[in-house]
Parts: sequence; structure tokens; C-alpha cells
Amino acid sequence: MKRKPETAQKPADRMLADVPLEEEVVLVRIDVAGDDVEPLLERGIVPGCTLCPVRHAPVGGPTVYRVDGVLVALRRETASCLCVRSSLEAAGVLDSN
Amino acid sequence: MLDRGSAPGAGVDRGAPLVAVVGPPNSGKSTLFNHLTGLRQRVANYPGVTVERRCGTVNLPVGPVELIDLPGVHGLSPRSLDQMVTRDVLLGEFEGDRQPDAIVLVLDATRLKSHLMVAEPVLALGLPTLVVLTMADELNRRYGALRRSSLSEELGVEVALVNARDAATLQPVRAFLKALHTGGEEVRACPIVAVAEHPEGRGAGRALPMIDLFAERRQRARELGRSAGFQAPRPSRTNERLDALALHRFWGPVVFAGVVAVVFQSIFAWAVPLMDGTEAAIAASGNYLGSVLPESWFRSLLLDGVWAGVGSVMVFLPQILILFFFIAILEDSGYMARAAVIADRLMHRVGLQGKSFLPLLSAYACAVPAIMSARTVEDERDRIATIFVAPFMTCSARLPVYALLIAAFIPAQPILGPFFGTQAAVLIGLYVMGVVAAIVTAALLKRTLLRGRSAPFVMELPPYRLPTVRSILTRLLDRTKVFLRRAGKIILAVTVVLWVFTQFPRMPGGEAPPIGDSALGQAGQVIEPAIEPLGFDWRIGIGLVTSLAAREVIVGTLGTIYGVESDDEEAFELQAALQQDLDLGSAVALLVFFVFALQCMSTVAIMRRETGGWRWPALQFCYMLLLAYAGAWVANAIL
Ligand SMILES: Nc1nc2c(ncn2[C@@H]2O[C@H](COP(=O)(O)OP(=O)(O)OP(=O)(O)O)[C@@H](O)[C@H]2O)c(=O)[nH]1
Ligand SMILES: [Mg+2]
Repeated sequence: MKRKPETAQKPADRMLADVPLEEEVVLVRIDVAGDDVEPLLERGIVPGCTLCPVRHAPVGGPTVYRVDGVLVALRRETASCLCVRSSLEAAGVLDSN
Repeated sequence: MLDRGSAPGAGVDRGAPLVAVVGPPNSGKSTLFNHLTGLRQRVANYPGVTVERRCGTVNLPVGPVELIDLPGVHGLSPRSLDQMVTRDVLLGEFEGDRQPDAIVLVLDATRLKSHLMVAEPVLALGLPTLVVLTMADELNRRYGALRRSSLSEELGVEVALVNARDAATLQPVRAFLKALHTGGEEVRACPIVAVAEHPEGRGAGRALPMIDLFAERRQRARELGRSAGFQAPRPSRTNERLDALALHRFWGPVVFAGVVAVVFQSIFAWAVPLMDGTEAAIAASGNYLGSVLPESWFRSLLLDGVWAGVGSVMVFLPQILILFFFIAILEDSGYMARAAVIADRLMHRVGLQGKSFLPLLSAYACAVPAIMSARTVEDERDRIATIFVAPFMTCSARLPVYALLIAAFIPAQPILGPFFGTQAAVLIGLYVMGVVAAIVTAALLKRTLLRGRSAPFVMELPPYRLPTVRSILTRLLDRTKVFLRRAGKIILAVTVVLWVFTQFPRMPGGEAPPIGDSALGQAGQVIEPAIEPLGFDWRIGIGLVTSLAAREVIVGTLGTIYGVESDDEEAFELQAALQQDLDLGSAVALLVFFVFALQCMSTVAIMRRETGGWRWPALQFCYMLLLAYAGAWVANAIL
């Protein structure tokens, strides 16, 4: 496999909503405004935590994620405010620091 | 020695140490509280069950300890009314309460990493604290591990690892409570460092520091877990298989529908032998009393009034218990949280959030606790919208009315073999009408009076758990008590009063008048013009008036009216009497009326309390009455 060109500087960040099932990712940034962010934070959904989508609910409902071993359901609109990168890349970044 | 001298709360023993049970939702606080106090707080397997503060006494050999069960919280910065209660109690700001002398912090051992995050602000209160890690059984079963003593060392307070469902494992908790009296070494105020303040005002500008605050808090929690040798339990295979089914895009909804169908079919089919038994027992006891009591006004009151009235309602106890049996299984198994996830899409369309779904589901038992549990809904407008529509969900008090009318007017025919018949289908139809009314009303409200943005949905899914026989039996027992108490109070009182009104004015010969000429009959005839367009006569009219107290009272009322009316010595048939009085159109009209109308004083009272005024309950009552009248009129007109 070819490595990504170095010009990308940092690994490509994606939104959690675009992550396929069973891919483990690390949260890097939360783009949720104000009050709405706290319910996420309290449940341990903070930058640095690992998230893994495990199941989509029927008829376009929320998606169930495994967050540090606990199942939490989030709507798509919330998941598209959570900026993540794959856990391998995240580990790489941590190593290089 | 521990009394801080401030005013004790209602029902709180002044001298006894006051201990608050705190922790994240669904961690087993109420289970623990129940075991220690012997009370029966509601327990179920989804977050947000307890929404009020509840006191209980633990009687130890050294003296009593007052325990307070609290709503679950993830921190001390409340966003909803239930979380506010917890915060206020912990800070000693709850009206009439002093600050607790000690804290029992309940954390789920299988979720230790995220649950330790709440330890920080709670320990920072500086009160003597015992950390109770529940779910020790599940931790073991799924190969998780942790060193209790290391965690205790790291936190600087005692730590107990228990199975809150097993009283035998709760000894360390009792020891802690005892030490509050004797000053034992278990009681240590936590020495933990001052915790970074929660940013006061919230808003977009302040969001960033808050994220950092929690990121650091999580980091510390993880380090704590690591030094305590915490090994997260493996995900359970059964759990994953069950979720694969419950949340499957095709099978998920099918399972949901299947569950609903089985519940309703069993309410009719399975209940029959039980109901026949109850009915026979009531009839037999009535006949026996009739044969031993001499002819007198007392005999008439007892048989025509009380036995006919209260007895007609009692017959429905088996059906209500079957309903509650299923509710117990659904709530204790963890399926409810999945149902809320499936329903979130619909709720979102309506303008509500998935969280509102759990209170609405519990309204199938009774609207009163449902309206209270809507306290967990964070957005105030969403909360009002939720409690406004909750009474549309078919509560168990409607079941006797539905069951009586359906049995009398809908012939039982199989639709899908023995599993599903016409009567169950009509019953489901009535439930669906209620749901549709709730959805439409909520959508209307959220687009007019309660317009606002829709709040985010974050829902934790608890693991599936096998309901215990004990918890199901206690629920059924409690429900039976509630049912009997209502029958013994409201229904008994109403039937006695009604009977008295059927006895006057006395005829010239001194005997009771024909019922149409009695005071009751005359009152009924005043009501009749208003309900004639719906196809009801004065008897139903009286029933509708008395059912304002509580819905099932109409069954008792009709029992008394027909009971007085029938001259037979033998027990009369309420169904047969109704068939004389109503045709299919007016029977359906009556059903429709009960689907929509808000005939329940307890609901009105709790609405007033939870909304802080008469405005919402008044609007709700009028709106629902209007809908009921219009719906019944249409049903009577077209059938
Ligand atoms: N296996 C196991 N189950 C438990 C234990 N403690 C509680 N439960 C179950 O966990 C679920 C939640 O228990 P509750 O006592 O209602 O939890 P709570 O903390 O009061 O929850 P909220 O009132 O929602 O904050 C119930 O299904 C209990 O039967 C335990 O130690 N082991
Ligand atoms: Mg509780």
C-alpha cells in the first residue's frame, strides 16, 4: 500500500457520520455549539476518545456507537459535527509528537 | 454529632445521619436503596427512571440512617429538572433539606472509565464518601477486572464492589452507614484536590474551555482506572446478537410489531380463564350474600350498589396484570432504550426527541408517573409538549372500558389463526388512535405554541438483562395494590353515592322509585341532551360524569345503575345490559370518546404541579374534550 503524500501535512480528518460500520476512529474535534456539547462530554465523548459505529437503527434513525466500550446512540446530525481520524493515523500522530 | 443543625426535610429524622445516593443514570442506585431501606422505588433497565428525591430509613443496630435516592447525573451542572433535584440536594439547597452528611456514590463497575468522570465533582464536595461499584456480577461474567484496594487508595475513600441485586454483597455499605454513627475509619472525607470550576455561564463562546475541562477529567478518570488495574469487560455476544435483531432494518420493526401483537392478544385470549374465575368468584360471593342477608336497604346497597359496581371493575384485574407483566419484561430487559432509538426518527419529525419517547411509553401504564418522568427531557418546550400529549397514550385505566365494550360489541374471530383475533385488532386500533392523536398534537404544538429548535439526542443503551422473577412479582403485587386501593376508595365511594341517589325520592308506598324517576335518573336527563348526538343515553351520561374522577369508574357506575335496575335475584350481565342500551355506532363512539378525553383528576393535578399553573392543564382538558366529542360524534354518525 502506498503512503499518503506528505503534502497532506496532517492525516485526513472525516466526520463521524461518514465512518463505515466497525471502523474504529479517534475523536479529534467537536463542532457542536454551546449547550448541546455537554451531554456528549459528560458521557466521555471528548477529544481523544475512541468511537466505533456498530449499528444503524432502522429507517434512517440514529447510529449506535461504541464509546470506550459503552453503547451510545447519536443522530446523524450530531455525528456530522464530530471530527474524527482513524485510530491508526491518530496513533501515528501521537507517536510523532 | 453529624447534624449540621439546619432544618430537616419532610419526614427526615433530625438526629439520624443523612446520606445521599448519587451516581450516573442506570447504575443501580435505586436497586441499592431498595435493598437497604426495604422500600420499593421504581427500578428499570434504562437511564432516567428516578426523577424525584426519595427518602427512606435504614435501620441499623446502632441506630437509623436516612438514605436519599436521587435521579442519575453525569455531573453537577444540571440541564434538566431531575438533574436539578440531585444538584440541589447535594449542595443542601433543596427546599427544607439540610446538606447530606455523607454520600454513597454508585458507579457501574462495567462502565468504570466513563463513570469515574462523575466521581471528580462529587468527591470535590468534600463530604465523607463511600464509592459503591455495582454490577460486580457482570464484570466477572464478562472477564473484566479491577483492584478495589488500589482504587480506594487512589481516590482516598472506601470502595465497595457489590452486586446491588444481591443483598448478601451489601455488607460494606452497611458498615459505612454504621460508621457514620460510631465514627469508624470507613468514614473519610475525600482528600482529592480542588476541581477545576465548571464554567458558569454557558454558550457558544464558552464551549471550548468546557471541552478541555471534560477532556482533562476523562484523562484523569482513565489514569485512575489504569492504576486500579481496571480491565473493561468484553462485549457480550448475546448482547450483540440481540441488538442485531432489535435494531435490524427489517427484523427490528417486525419484532416490535410482533411484541405488540402478542401483548394485545394475550390481554384478551390469556386473560379469559382468569377473568372468568374472578367473575365467577364475585358473582358467587354476591349470590351467597344475597341468600344470607334479609331483604333490606342494606342488602340492596351491598348487592346492587357495591357488589355490582366495584365487582364490575374488579373483573378486569387479570387483564391489567397481564399488561403490567409485559411492561415489566420490556422495561427490565433493556428493550425500552432500543425502542426509543427506533422511534427517534419519528419523534424527530414531530419535533420532539427520542428522550421524550420513554416517558410516553411509560404512559401506557399510567400518565401520572409518565408526566413526572418527562423531567428528564432537557428542553423545557419539549418537556411541556411531551407531557401535554402523554394522556393520549392509552393508560391502563382505559383498559377495563375498552375490554368491556369490545367484548360486548366486537365478535371474536381469528385473523391470524389463534395468535391474533378481531378483538385484539380493535384494541390495537384504539391504541393507535391515541398514538396518532399524540403525534399530531405534538407536531402542532411544536410548530405553534412551543416552537423551538430540536435538542440533540444522546442515548446510552444499557446491556440486556434477564428480568428477575422477584422484580416482576413485586411490580405485579404493587399494581394489584394500586388497583384494589382505587377500587376500594374512588369506585366504592362513587357507587355508594350513586346508589343513594337511585333510592330517592321515595315512592308513595315508601319503596325505591323506578330508576328513571330517581334523583340519579333526573340528573341524567339533564345531561342527556348534550350527549344525545353521540348516541348515548342518560346512563352513559352519568358514567361519563363520574369517569371524570378516573376512567374506570364508568364501569363501576354502569354496574351500579344496571344492578339497581335489574330486578333479578341472580347476578346480572353487564355486557348484555350494555347491548340493550347501545348499538354498534354508539358503542364505538363511546370507545372513541375514551381514547381522546382527559378523564382523570390525578393527571390534571400532576400537570398543574409539573407546569406550575393551571394554564396547561386547562388547555389540555378542553382540547382533549373537544377532540373526544368531535371524534365520538363522527363515529356515531358514520357507523
Ligand atoms: N446484574 C446487575 N444488575 C443490576 C445491578 N444493580 C442494578 N442492576 C440493574 O440495573 C438496572 C438499573 O437499576 P436502577 O436501580 O433502576 O438504576 P438507577 O441508578 O436507580 O437508575 P436511574 O434512576 O435511572 O438513575 C436495573 O435493571 C437493575 O435490575 C447489579 O449489581 N448487577
Ligand atoms: Mg433510580
